[in-house]
Amino acid sequence: MRDRLPRGVDAMLRRLLPGDLDGPIAGDLLEEYLDLRAHKGRVRAGFWVWWQAVRLSVMFRWERAAHGRPLPPIGDELRRPGHMWDSLRQDIGFGVRMLRRQPGFTGVALLALALGIGANTAIFSVVDAVLWRPLPYPESDRVLSIGEQRPKEGRTHGPVASADFYDWRRDSRSFVAMAGLDETSFNLSGGGEPERLPTLVASPGLLDVLAVAPGLGRDFRAEEEIDGRHHVVLLSDGFWRRRFGSDPSIVGRTITLNGNPYNVVGVLPAAFWWQTRVDIIVPNAPLAQVDSTRTLHWMRVVARLKPEVSLERARAELDAIGQRLSERYPGENTGHLPHAMRLQEAMVRDVRPALLVLLGAVGLVLLIACANVATLLLAKATGRQREIAVRVALGAGRPRLVRQMLTESVLLALLGGAAGLVVAAAAIAAFQTLLPAEFAGLPGIARIAIDARVLGVALIVATVTGLAFGTIPAVAASDLRVGAMLTEEGRGGGSGARSWRLRAALVVTEMALSLVLLVGAGLLLISFKHLLDVSPGFEPQHLVATPTVLPSSRYDNHAQVTAFYQALLERVRAMPGVEAAGVVSALPFGRQDARLGFQIEGRMMQSPIPVRAHPRLVSSGYLSTLGVPLLRGRAFTDRDADGAPDVVLINSAAARRFWPQDDPIGRRMAFGFGGTPRWMEIVGVVGDIKHASLDVESEPEAYLPFLQTNLSTMARSMGMTLVVRTRSDAAAMAPLLKAAVAEIDRNQPLGIVSQMDRLIADSVAPRRLNLWLVSAFAVLALVLTAAGLYGVMAYLVAQRTHEIGVRMALGASRASVLGLVIRQVGVLAIAGISAGAAGAAALTRFLATLLFGVSTTDPYVYVVVSLLVAGVALLAAIVPSSRAAGVDPVTALRLP
Amino acid sequence: MAMTDVSTLGEFEQVVLLAILRLADEAYAVTVRDEIVRCTARDVSRGSVYITLDRLETKGYLRSRLADPTPERGGRAKRYYALRPRAVEALRESRRALVALWRGLESVLA
Repeated sequence: MRDRLPRGVDAMLRRLLPGDLDGPIAGDLLEEYLDLRAHKGRVRAGFWVWWQAVRLSVMFRWERAAHGRPLPPIGDELRRPGHMWDSLRQDIGFGVRMLRRQPGFTGVALLALALGIGANTAIFSVVDAVLWRPLPYPESDRVLSIGEQRPKEGRTHGPVASADFYDWRRDSRSFVAMAGLDETSFNLSGGGEPERLPTLVASPGLLDVLAVAPGLGRDFRAEEEIDGRHHVVLLSDGFWRRRFGSDPSIVGRTITLNGNPYNVVGVLPAAFWWQTRVDIIVPNAPLAQVDSTRTLHWMRVVARLKPEVSLERARAELDAIGQRLSERYPGENTGHLPHAMRLQEAMVRDVRPALLVLLGAVGLVLLIACANVATLLLAKATGRQREIAVRVALGAGRPRLVRQMLTESVLLALLGGAAGLVVAAAAIAAFQTLLPAEFAGLPGIARIAIDARVLGVALIVATVTGLAFGTIPAVAASDLRVGAMLTEEGRGGGSGARSWRLRAALVVTEMALSLVLLVGAGLLLISFKHLLDVSPGFEPQHLVATPTVLPSSRYDNHAQVTAFYQALLERVRAMPGVEAAGVVSALPFGRQDARLGFQIEGRMMQSPIPVRAHPRLVSSGYLSTLGVPLLRGRAFTDRDADGAPDVVLINSAAARRFWPQDDPIGRRMAFGFGGTPRWMEIVGVVGDIKHASLDVESEPEAYLPFLQTNLSTMARSMGMTLVVRTRSDAAAMAPLLKAAVAEIDRNQPLGIVSQMDRLIADSVAPRRLNLWLVSAFAVLALVLTAAGLYGVMAYLVAQRTHEIGVRMALGASRASVLGLVIRQVGVLAIAGISAGAAGAAALTRFLATLLFGVSTTDPYVYVVVSLLVAGVALLAAIVPSSRAAGVDPVTALRLP
Repeated sequence: MAMTDVSTLGEFEQVVLLAILRLADEAYAVTVRDEIVRCTARDVSRGSVYITLDRLETKGYLRSRLADPTPERGGRAKRYYALRPRAVEALRESRRALVALWRGLESVLA
């Protein structure tokens, strides 16, 4: 082992430090380096000494410069003739000078590139974080979501009946663990303000599926799934810190949830992530009534694959289990199969098409920016033909010239990329504040940032961009017949015409790409308008709603539950400004739903169409509070209570589907299949309303009076939502409602008070964001295209000034000169629009899933957008053409 | 005159001068830094030691000489530093000023 500094350190110190100091400093460093190498090894010592040398040199030069004694410039020694680095340095230096000499060109090109690269970086960072980053669990690609598919009803991954889940879990061998779960909320009371806590109800095994260990305490035990032993709870780290001040002695203590004591067995680690906020996890409390039914679909199922099992094998096994279940339970399970997919995919599948469309759209913007800068470079290259010709004559080879021009364009693109990062950072910040609530639960949303990966992609995009827009002009400009160039004056003919064709092609491409984007934006805009025009089936203005869940400890029978809500309704209806009020088990746009199979009296159980409806428990006055019309029959009254005959209202979708020929009123139906059916008489038909979103057809619904005990277990577990029609807004109503609840039961917390019109607006928020972004990209594209077209037309007019002068001298009118230029624009516009229309027709099919009430080939959109592009093309040509028409023939002729 | 000198001596400059004084004939960058670390128990970057030595020499507080190159340093000489008289004077003045300021404060600050 030789006792000297690592290669290069010496040389660097010699170049960077003053001549009388580099020797002693190198000696000092060597002393310490040898000592360190003996103790810590060569690698660490090497890193250390490099770091010291760099740091020292920088500090020294900085200090000297700051005190007016600058050291000689770096790098004089690096100049060796013929050195690769040397010529690259020359090219960069030359490039910088060229860019600085033409601030107008540089500014315009940098702006186009910064917007193009910045928008791409921002969208990439979102797509990458949401779609491509793994979920924050160990070996997260083994974590699956298992849903129920019903091909006949077009459902691919729906909620699961708990009885099916227990069978899957018992019979499958492919998984380390499988867990059923549901997102709900529990009331916390005792020791401070009562609170509603976002809760995961999950079977033991969830933490094994996610491969997460509790930070404190223990996980649930298998036997804690059994009714009566399930009063245990895991706290989230955030909730533990917030409510209990990180007290480690919480494990083993008891907290009151829904009025029952729950023993805290553990605290989740801080890194625990679930797609919604979770304050506590409680074991799935089995309810005999719910668990025995295969018709109530409410559960989500997650599972972790065993390391040696592939997804395909697990799917095959689940299929076999599903087949067996449908043979055993033909009434309930026919047409059902389990469907497994990676949890990551299941979480993002709703937004995947939209995000990929955005990525495509922003990619088109970048292509347009490239074409735009390429036309600018071509124009610049024309101005440099003499310079290039001289260099060729002096012996510069074509590869050398191309390399030099490519260096310039990559330099430009990298500068544009750097500015683009600023644009991207601003865009990401804006995106995170504008984010619709629907996006907040996506994996990775919180991790969107310009990190190393995004930086790397931005760097690659910028470099490739530079090469893309630089290659055509570089090759075109370096292809010179030297002799001709030195003698010819570069007007008309030859390379001028070729350069014109190139530019025309670029501008046509830009117009075509803009048209594709504009068509996409137009289709989304029309979809959005159609969606907003859809009536939800009720009057959403002046409605506020708030959910409540009554704890079963204090409300363990039907009479207590109904008494609470009756008392609440009585108080609320008496409030000033309140016009009407009611309660419902599943509020429209409230993200709560259920579906149940039912029987129709006198019909065969096996029906060719699935006999299922969405049950809603309602108070009297609920439907009229919403403004849902009663089409036939009668509405509920408070006399539809226990003791009176069981009654039900159906919506017209149910009437159409199950009684297409006859009158449903007076017929009887019963939910469930087992045991003695509890028949309910249909007493009326009400209008359809939208439940989950405006773009889904209304499904069959059945309204049941909540005063009748039928299904009242469900009312307790799902809770009821109070709906109030009032002139006041949600903020004003909240304290009044809270006070009304407290008067009845001061331990009962109140949920968030929302405005119905806001809930509906939130349901279209992702579409609105998508529309905004695609429209912004389309407008950006159009502006870039207009700029490109303007540049090309200005160039064309400048090229033809002489010819125009001759024409005018020979008697051509202003109008005919204008016509000449406009004809030329027209030819370009027609070419661009036709190419763009063809491209749009091919590409907009990727938009199909995002559209509503409009076809991808909607002629109206194509015509309007084509006219818009043609109009912008004409506008871009007006200035150059009027300049052409204003040419003084004498001046024009005098030009060389 | 002495007052001006003291006011232009930074705290770290005084530390470096004192370390050199303590080291007598053995003061070069490595030992100066070691001595400062040993006496003050604070981590000092090599860069700031070199820069301060360079600055003090330029200001005329230090003089330096190159020793003979030694093989264990790869044939590089050490640059030894020593105080010029005005540095000693400046330190003295600084001490005097500080002691005057300290007087009577022992009960509060000691």
